[in-house]
Amino acid sequence: MKREESNIVNSQGSLTVSDESIARLLCDDSHVEEAVRLIMKKYGEPLYWHIRRMVVAHDDAEDCLQETMINVYKYRSTYSNEYPLSSWLYKIATNESLKLLKNRAGFTMSVDDLGDSLKDSVREEAGPNADETLVLLQEAIALLPAKQKMVFNLRYYDDKSYEEIHQIVGDSVNTLKTNYHYAVQKIKDYILEHQL
Amino acid sequence: MKDFDLEGLSREMPYKMPEHFLDDMTERVVSQIGKQRKQNRERKIVALFASAASVAAVALLFIHPFGGGLDIPDYENISQCASIDELFQNMTADELGVYSMMSNYYGN
Repeated sequence: MKREESNIVNSQGSLTVSDESIARLLCDDSHVEEAVRLIMKKYGEPLYWHIRRMVVAHDDAEDCLQETMINVYKYRSTYSNEYPLSSWLYKIATNESLKLLKNRAGFTMSVDDLGDSLKDSVREEAGPNADETLVLLQEAIALLPAKQKMVFNLRYYDDKSYEEIHQIVGDSVNTLKTNYHYAVQKIKDYILEHQL
Repeated sequence: MKDFDLEGLSREMPYKMPEHFLDDMTERVVSQIGKQRKQNRERKIVALFASAASVAAVALLFIHPFGGGLDIPDYENISQCASIDELFQNMTADELGVYSMMSNYYGN
């Protein structure tokens, strides 16, 4: 592939290299490191925040993001251009986040039982000067079941369509819509209940 | 009934991402991938040498370096067994007894 095609930075300083170009580099053994750099440049921040909204603590998000990128390298041959590269990356990041939460829950609890401990972490991570409504919102999200949390975050923060969320999470669009609806209702109830 | 305008809320997060975090992470990941690629290459080379060595070892079993084949004694040739006759002749009665017992036991 042409070199100039892979490293295009526009006047705002953001990367405009296409996902197709990155995917081609990723499958080319001699350019795999360059592909990983491009993925980090283009998707590193959204992936970090996606993971962090799931696991809350920065240290955990750091571990998950690193594992996500290593898995991108390890399983690059499984990527099919049937789906967008971003959906594949989000899927790996989501799986890594769930894996971390499952490890934390152990054999006796489920991921959904971690709500209270994640909620407590929200306030610790946010610090004393954080906006109270934003903290309440994160607490409400932390208390959601994992599936509702994933769907809500991907739709509300990452602006993903239900079709894209389906590619990442795997459930049917109708199930995803129901999950989102429940999540929104629970979040609103929590904020109204706890807002001063 | 009271409602909360979720859509009107800022999408900001109440947390911060440490400065240079993504750059540091990129370097760490690229370095780890580099190490894994090196290990994979080394493993491939070792596997290649191991299979080459196995092939060579199998070939050596059948090909004598000087073209003479393996030096396997020809027990069909009676002249090579002359020393065995001498061995029997030099055996004591007790030794012959033990040999006979063992031959009967192993069916030979």
